[in-house]
Parts: sequence; structure tokens; C-alpha cells
Amino acid sequence: MSHYDATHHTRGTSRYVGDLPEPEGLCHAAIVPSPLAHGKLVRLDSAAALALPEVIAVITAGDIPGENQIGPLIQDEELLASETVHFSGQPLAIVVAETPELARRAAGMIRPEIVLLPIITDPREAFDRGEIIGATRQFVLGNVESAWAACDVVVEGRCDIGGQEHVYLETQGARALPGEGDAIKLYSSTQSPYVVQRSVAKVLGVPYHLIEVDVKRIGGGFGGKEDQATPWACLAALACRLTGRPVELILSRHDDLLMTGKRHAYSSDFKIGLDKTGKILAYAVRHYQNAGASADLSPAILERTLFHSTNAYYIPNVHIFAASCRTNIPPATAFRGFGGPQGMFVIESAIAKAAEALGIPREEIQRRNLIREGQEFPYGQQAERARAEATWEKADALYDLAAIHRKIEQYNRDHYETKKGLAVMPICFGISFTATFMNQGSALVHIYTDGSVSISTGAVEMGQGISSKLANITARTLGIGESRIKVESTNTTRIANMSPSAASATTDLCGGAAIRACEEILARLRRLAARELQLGDETAITIENEQVRYQGQATGWSWRKLVETAYFSRISLSAHAFYATPNIYFDKQKEKGRPFNYHVYGTAILEATVDCLRGTYDIDAVKIVHDLGRPLNAVVDLGQIEGGLAQGLGWMTVEDLQFDHTGKLLAGALANYKLPEVYFMPEDLQVNFLENDDNPNAPYGSKAVGEPPLLYGLGVFFALRNAARAFRPGKTLSFHAPMTPERLLLELYGDQMPPDERQSAEGNGKTRQPFPDTSTKEKA
Amino acid sequence: MENAPLFSVKVTVNGQLFEREVEPRLLLSDFLRHELALTGTHVGCEHGVCGACTVLLNGEAVRSCLIFAVQAHGQEIVTVEGLTPDGGREALHPLQEAFREAHGLQCGFCTPGILMTLIPFLQEHPQPSEGEIREALSGNLCRCTGYHNIVKAVQLAAETLRHG
Repeated sequence: MSHYDATHHTRGTSRYVGDLPEPEGLCHAAIVPSPLAHGKLVRLDSAAALALPEVIAVITAGDIPGENQIGPLIQDEELLASETVHFSGQPLAIVVAETPELARRAAGMIRPEIVLLPIITDPREAFDRGEIIGATRQFVLGNVESAWAACDVVVEGRCDIGGQEHVYLETQGARALPGEGDAIKLYSSTQSPYVVQRSVAKVLGVPYHLIEVDVKRIGGGFGGKEDQATPWACLAALACRLTGRPVELILSRHDDLLMTGKRHAYSSDFKIGLDKTGKILAYAVRHYQNAGASADLSPAILERTLFHSTNAYYIPNVHIFAASCRTNIPPATAFRGFGGPQGMFVIESAIAKAAEALGIPREEIQRRNLIREGQEFPYGQQAERARAEATWEKADALYDLAAIHRKIEQYNRDHYETKKGLAVMPICFGISFTATFMNQGSALVHIYTDGSVSISTGAVEMGQGISSKLANITARTLGIGESRIKVESTNTTRIANMSPSAASATTDLCGGAAIRACEEILARLRRLAARELQLGDETAITIENEQVRYQGQATGWSWRKLVETAYFSRISLSAHAFYATPNIYFDKQKEKGRPFNYHVYGTAILEATVDCLRGTYDIDAVKIVHDLGRPLNAVVDLGQIEGGLAQGLGWMTVEDLQFDHTGKLLAGALANYKLPEVYFMPEDLQVNFLENDDNPNAPYGSKAVGEPPLLYGLGVFFALRNAARAFRPGKTLSFHAPMTPERLLLELYGDQMPPDERQSAEGNGKTRQPFPDTSTKEKA
Repeated sequence: MENAPLFSVKVTVNGQLFEREVEPRLLLSDFLRHELALTGTHVGCEHGVCGACTVLLNGEAVRSCLIFAVQAHGQEIVTVEGLTPDGGREALHPLQEAFREAHGLQCGFCTPGILMTLIPFLQEHPQPSEGEIREALSGNLCRCTGYHNIVKAVQLAAETLRHG
């Protein structure tokens, strides 16, 4: 089963926003970004730009007919800055011109006058100054304070986790076409057509139904187009409305890097207590999320950090604190994993430090504390069909952990300047939007009289293969061949109020709705066939391989005959259906509930070799056992696992996203933001599925696949760290990700640098007592 | 702004001769996409890092975002659309077929550039080793796949091309 779009992709005939045929009179917009990260906008002189021939308009905040507000959760984000700028790259104005080159040139001639205000880039500093977005959150299970005393070892530590640039290869963009009256049709590279629709309507001050958003596919999203596709669509629509002409706004790569939000950097403090056998008795953690200049989706992302702060482990006493901290960098946003990976990195770091204190391998603690059936997550949900241990055991059986250990120890005895390291990475990821109301999906199915089928849903194809899965689900439910199915673009006039394609949940929600729509039509068709063929029991009618069967026997009617008969009998061949995930809820007052429909589990074993003189390294092997229920399309799912893994590995190693202390992005081009390339991935990559009982909570027993595989990538940090430890066993190593070759050298030799250089290399983080009430004891 | 003088460019693209008046700074990638409406050539980074805009210039794989349209004057270009010259009704080229079969693509944005990188490579290396394949692809970025299936697709294509 190949990718639904494979033929078009390989022919170059797949259309992305910028590939659509150009309408008559199409003009182009470019953005004027703020050059400073925080300040009062005093003046914006656009006269020189407007004087250029073929410049059509310069649009600023004052020109917005509706509300100058696009914050999705909290109303704290202007579309165009009116009085204050909050990050470097924030849009101040747009220029509309006859060509994109001219628009960009004119935008460069607009010089804003800004009075600088104090700039904060560090989330801890923002927290101390009270720059907190929304409420701080706490999840509590048991009582950590009374548990510390019972622990044989208690360690504390700090993690600093970098952000990550999405680098969807198709940059952000939208095209807006004027319709009749105030109507506008948009083509947008968004994961969230409904959010674009409602934001555009708000900015233009028109009802939602005047705004139509259509998405055929997008050239990668990874969360970066969940919410942050919205401003560009709003600006294109605004320019379209004000000029009356079709307007295209496609960000250059530089602008995209500069202006859009990335994965959140976190700084966290942890404290973990264990008995001497390695059982974790208590875990306390404080997360400081670097949210950037406005809320965007940060509070929701923070929530998932809380949900996943204990990863795949059961810990009886837990206290998780998390704060979303406002800083002067671009608003950080969704990125595959949605805050979960940061929470998991910290518990994995805590376990690493505890293992060092106890003098036992990290994986002994991991294995001993895996969550089991019926045990409780800190948010009150019990583990159902828990497969943490099953994936671990299968990985051990398939890949032989002890043998890998022996091999690595032998290698490290035989080699001086290169060392190998091993890490096991168990994962557990909850499936559902954590905002319960978003767990809804719709599908619209039309069957035409030739037997061909059109399906529309709220799902956006971004490479993840949702079209392949929808075609498969539809064909399978109807009992016909996949070649009869056409998966339509995602369009707000066909599907209303759709949730974004995000949270790994799209197949579950939209696929669930597709099954219901097909079943609704099938019920009509069965009734018809029972009547026409005089069959007593309509529930015994099935369609298999496009043939109508009764009690398993052929009736002589084909799919085509059935459909034609229905048409002439005036029976509807269309259905719209709705799916809402049952039995999920969460009480934010108590911070308890059952937020997830189910969990995805898995275990990876990672091996790396470090050149301890140069800091360079190779990821030698990643061996995975992944819990996938019954895969709908194993080829597509495997692609998601490999691609997600690559992003996770990249985040932990080479993808070094940095802002300087003035809030300026240090990587304004792909030439200086390193991505995993073709040599990066391990030569030995093995993925096995944990064959398991049907998952009753998703289409045909499948499980969601989009985000969880990224989490395996976290393991590489600990494999590299273990290799470094083998080279310098006594050296204290930090938990500072990504582990770039530079960072690795600093970890190995930082203590040999002169103090002033060391301080500038390591940053001058203030010392603080994160858990002041209790003392820390370290005894092995 | 002064308008730059226009230059006449005659270029053969996918076997067809085109003549256009263009600004000297117009990139070949923009020329192909906007003047000739050959939008299969994608632009990902605009400075020669990602490889999405790769086309053949006189049979050699080049980044069309690093070449001016006027530099292609009098020369021969093949874009991804040229792999199936009838505009997409005929069977896929074996390389295209291999990427489909081996699921060597996801969002598809990098795919045309990768295919065009591989066309001359496979002509020169009918039996490529995995190392040679990786070297050939070292100038193309894909954010979706993790590259494994892309390498597999090239191996599959090489095999098909060898056995006709």
C-alpha cells in the first residue's frame, strides 16, 4: 500500500499553495518585521515604499477592519503590532506589490522607529519577574514531602532543553481570493483550516461563513502549522480585502525562520528519591517553559508536559509544577510531542542521575518502575492495556540487551579515545487532545452512480499518510476497492468546525467519522437490497470485494448495481457523520480525570559511538519495539516511526536552536541550522511492532502513530552521555540538550577551561534552591 | 525603482524550446515555476542547502535556486515534469515507480529534487553501493522520512533500471 499521493508527488504534479495556477491580477505581500525584541513602536514610515511604482499598498495595524487579535487560547497576540513589539521578527506591516521581489524590496525600505524596552530571553528570569502566561499548574499524586524520608537515595538536578525549528520544507503561506461581497476564499498551508477561518473572520469583522478555507495538502507541518499558519492567512486575507485583488503571501525561508515559533525550550529542576533496589518512591519536578512573546498554544503544551512528566513509569508520590514563562522570542508553538518530550527528558535525566548515585545501570531503574495494568498516572487515569513491560520484554528478547551491554563494555575496554554508550528509552504517550472538546471529527461521504466515492473530512494531509488511511478505511468499510475512493481536499464548506490535524489523533477522529458515514449509507443500501432481493435478514447482507452477499453467499448484485438501484429508488447516497471520542474527561480544578482515550507504548535501545577527542559521534543503532495495535497501513506507519525518530534524534543532537541575549535568532538560514541529513540516521535501524489485541478505541484496532516515535530520539542523549562517562567516569555531566559535538567537548573538558571561558560557555545560571524545604542526601 | 533591462532567454525545457524576456536577476527556479508554470520544481531554502529545486542542466543535477535564468540561455533543462513527458498520463519512470513502491516520500515537497539528483547518478552508477547512494543524496534534505526508505527506493530503482 503506497502513499495516496505517491504518483503526483513523483510526477511533480502535487500542488502546494505556491503551485496553484495564478489567477488574473494576483499580487504579492511581504512582511515588515520588528528588528528589536521588545520596545515601543513610535513610528513606521512607509512613504518611500509607497513611492515605488507597482507597490499597491502598505498595511498596518490601524487598517484592520475587525479585531487585531489572533491569540488562539488567550487574547494576547496582535496580528500586526500596534504599540508595542514583543519579539524580533514580529510583523509590523505588510507591503502588497505586483511581484514578490518588489514587495520584499519595498518592505525592506520601511524603517520602524522603536524605543527599546528590557528584553528577557530566559524563562527562569521571566518567572522571577512574574511574566507568567495563564495559571501555573500542579499535578500531585501521593505525598512527596513525607516520602523523601523513606528513600535510601535522593538526588536533585537541573535540565536545560533546547527548542527546535520545524523546517517543514514548504514554508508558511496562503493565497486569498476575493469572492462576491465580503466573501474570501483562502488556500492556506495549515494543519488547522477552521482556526484559519475563524481568525480571518475575526480580523476582517465578518461572519465565519464568508470565509472559505481549502487545503489540499501541506509540505510538512509537524505542529508548526497547527496554529502558526494563521497569521499569514490572516494577512493575505486582509490584503485581499483592502486591495480587492487576489493576494499571495509565501514566507521566504529566512522570514519563516525569523517570524515563526518553534518547539519550546524548557529549564527544569528535578528531585528524585529511590530505595536501594532502584524503586522510585518520589519525584518532584519544576518546569519553566520558555513560551516566547505570547501564549499561542503554550498553556496546552504545558499541560502535556505535566501529563507526561513520569513517562512510562509508575511513581507513587509525585509533585509536578509547571509554569509558562513569557519571554521576548517568537511565540513557541506546537511541535510533534507537544510538550510531552520535555517532561520525559527530565524524568529520564533524573533516573540517570539516580542510577549514578546508586551505582547501578540506568535501565535497571527504568525496568523496575515501568507502569503496570491498573496503576495510576499522576493525573488520575489508570493504565489500561498497559504495554510498557511487554514492549521492554520483547525488545530485550529480540535484541538481547545483556549482549549489547557486554559488547559495549568490551569495546570500551579495547578503545581509549572512542567510547560507546547504550541507552534504553521506554515511552508512553497519551492519545487524545488534552482539551476534551477538541476530540471530535466529521466526515462527508458521497457515492456517485458509477460506484466511485468521494470522502471529505477535517483531516489535513501533510505527508503523514492520512489520505492513504482514509481511503483504506472507507474502502474497507464499504467492501469495495481503494481505487474507487477519492480523498478530497480539506474544506471548511464541506466540514465545519474541524479540529486541527494534530495530537496524533486525526485517524482516530476523522477515520472514526468516516466509518460512521459509510455505515449509515450501508444501512440504507442493505435495507434496499433486502427489499429488492427479498432477503429476510438485512443484517446478514454484506459487501465483499464489491459483491453483495447474503449469509456469505453471492446474490448476483455488484456494488455498481446496488448503487444504481439505490439512485433510481431515490435513496440518499451521501452521509455526513460525526465522531466524538467517548469516555474522556478532565477536571482542571482537581487536575484529575481520564484525559486519554488510550496510551501508546514502546521501547527503544540506542547505541552511539563518541570520538572523545573531537566530540563527534555516530548513532550506531536504534532498535525499537513499538506498540501499534493492528496497523491500518504498516508501510505508512513505519514511515512515521522512522521520520519521527529522525526528528527526535535531531532535536537531541545536531539541531541547535539559539537566540542571543537580545532575542535575535542565531540561525536565520538552513545553512546555519543543521538538520539530520542522509548520513545522520543509524545504519542499524530495526523496528518491530508489538502485535497485540485490537485497540477497541480506534478504527479497526489501530493505534495513533504520529508523535510517539519522536520520543525514542531522547534516548540518544543518554547513550552519548554514557559514552562520555565511560571516557571520564568521575566527571559530573550536565543535562543540557542538545548534545552537539561542541557541548559534548564542553562536558568532557569544560572543567579544564579557564574559569571565565567556562562561565561564558556554560552560561551563568543563577544558583537557587529549587526544593528549599528538604535536604538532599546522596548515599549509594 | 529602476527597472532592470530585460534579457532574452532561449532555453529548451523538457524537450520544448521556450523564449522569454526576463530580468537578469531572475532565478532559474522562479523562471521555471512562474514563467513556464513548471511548479514541480520546489523551492525550500532559497540558497542551495535543501536540494528541493534540483533540475538537470545539460544532463547534470544543479540547484535551480543558485542559477540565474539567463545562465541557462541556449542550454537544455529537464525538470521533474520531464520524467514522464506526456504530462502524466503514461507509466511512471522506474525511479518514480520505485519511490512509490518503497514509500520513499511523505509530504512530497522534497521528492522532485531528490528524483532529479538521482537521474544522472543512476546513469553513472548503475550498481550503486549504499554508501554511494548516501553520498549522492547528501545534498538533499527530507524532514519527513528519516531517509531509510529513500535509500531503499534508490536501490529498487537501480535494480529495475538494470533489468530493463
